[in-house]
Amino acid sequence: MMEELAALAQWHNVRFMAEGLWITLRISGLTIAFSFILGTLLGVMRYSGHWLLARIAAVYIESFRASPLILLILLFRFTMPLKPVNSGTLAMTLFTAAIVGEIVRGGLNSVDKGQWEAARSQGFTWWQTMQHIVLPQALRKMIPPLTGQFITVVKDTSYVWVVGVQELTGKGVIILGQHGSTL
Amino acid sequence: MIQLINVNKHFGPLHVLVDVDLTVKSGEKLVVIGPSGSGKSTLIRCMNLLERPTSGTVIVDGVDITAPGAPLTKVRQSVAMVFQQFNLYPHKTVLENVTMAPILVKGIPREEAEASGLEFLDRVGLKHKANAYPSQLSGGQQQRVAIARALNMRPKIMLFDEPTSALDPEMVQEVLDVMIGLSQEGITMVVVTHEMGFAREVADRVIFMDGGQILEEGPPEHFFEAPRHERTRLFLSRILR
Ligand SMILES: Nc1ncnc2c1ncn2[C@@H]1O[C@H](COP(=O)(O)OP(=O)(O)O)[C@@H](O)[C@H]1O
Ligand SMILES: [Mg+2]
Repeated sequence: MMEELAALAQWHNVRFMAEGLWITLRISGLTIAFSFILGTLLGVMRYSGHWLLARIAAVYIESFRASPLILLILLFRFTMPLKPVNSGTLAMTLFTAAIVGEIVRGGLNSVDKGQWEAARSQGFTWWQTMQHIVLPQALRKMIPPLTGQFITVVKDTSYVWVVGVQELTGKGVIILGQHGSTL
Repeated sequence: MIQLINVNKHFGPLHVLVDVDLTVKSGEKLVVIGPSGSGKSTLIRCMNLLERPTSGTVIVDGVDITAPGAPLTKVRQSVAMVFQQFNLYPHKTVLENVTMAPILVKGIPREEAEASGLEFLDRVGLKHKANAYPSQLSGGQQQRVAIARALNMRPKIMLFDEPTSALDPEMVQEVLDVMIGLSQEGITMVVVTHEMGFAREVADRVIFMDGGQILEEGPPEHFFEAPRHERTRLFLSRILR
C-alpha cells in the first residue's frame, strides 16, 4: 500500500497529473466565462417577455436543460469538426448557459417591481433600467446558486474524458491502472 | 398641464377607470381621495404612463403621451413620482439615488448633479446621510430621500401615491412637512392621500374617487362641510373618525 502511494508520487506521475489539472482548469474556466455571458443574455431575453426573444430563450433553455450533459458531449464530439477538448468545452458551455440562464431569470424575478417603476418614472429606458438598476441587484442574489453551478462545472469536466480528453480524473485513473492499484 | 380625456383602464375583466375626464392646471395642488381599490393609483399612474390606458387620451405639458411613438422618456423627465413603498435603489448610496437619473437620463455633469442633489438632500434634512445606503434609513427618511430624488430631476409635475401610508405614525409628519414646503412653489402636485389635514392646508381641489370614477370634487372645505354624495360622507366619516 505504501509502495503504491510512493509510486503515485513519482515525478513523471505528478507532472502527468498537473497536465490533467491544467486541462480541467482550462475547460472549466472557458465554460464558466462563456456560459456566464451567454446565460446572462438568455436569462435577460427570457425575462424580457419579448414575444420573439423570450421564446427563443425558452426553447434553448428547456432543450439544453432536458439533455444529459454526457450525451451532448458525445454528440458534439462526433458531429463537430473540432478537437475533442474543444467540442467538449463547447458542449459544456452551451449546457451550462441554459442553467445560468434560469439562475439569471430567477435573480431578475426576485427584484422588486417597484424598482422598474421608479426607474421608468425617472425616464430611464428599458436597457438603462436593466443595466443600472435591476441586473446589479439580481446579480447579488445570484451569487450563491451561480457558485454552486460553477463548482459543478469543474466536477463535470471529467465527462469530457469519455471522448478521449485526459483531464484530471482521467489521468488519475490511468496512473491507478498502470500501478494495478486497488485504491 | 395634465389632461385626461375619456380615459378607461381595464385589467382583464376589471374595469378600473371608467370614462375619466380630468384636467390639472399648471401649478395646481390636487388631492385624490377614495376607498381602497377605487382606482386612485391607476389614475395617477396613467399620468406618466406607468399604466397605459385601454382607451382615451392623456396629455402632459402639451404632449399626447398616449399617442404611438410619444417621447415618453422625455416627458417623464419632467414628471416625478413618489411611491408608497419609496422604491429607492437599494444598491446605491443616498447621493447616488438622487443623482443617477439626472446624470444618466438628462446628461447633467456629475459635479453639477451632486451639488444640486446635496442641496435637495439638505432641504429634506438628510444631507448628512448622503453616503448612507437606503437600508440604513428609517421609513420617513427613505421617503424624504425619494422626494429629494424626485426634485433633483427639476420636475414641473410631482405625483405622490400615498406617500405616508407605509410609514409609522410618528414619521408621517416629517414627510408631510417636506411636501407642504414644496407646495409653496409653482410645481404642479397630484397627491393621493388620506391625510385630510394636509389636504385642507395644501389642496386647491380635492377629488373623491369611487368605482373608477370621479364621484365628487371641490375645494377641501367642501368635503369637510357639505359632501354631496352619501358614499363620500361615509368614506370621510371613516377616515376622519
Ligand atoms: N396590475 C394590475 N393587474 C390587475 N388588477 C389590478 C392591477 N393594478 C390594480 N388592479 C386592480 O384595479 C383596481 C384599482 O386598483 P388601484 O388603482 O390600485 O386602486 P387604489 O389605489 O384606489 O387602491 C383594484 O381592484 C386592483 O385590484
Ligand atoms: Mg393605491
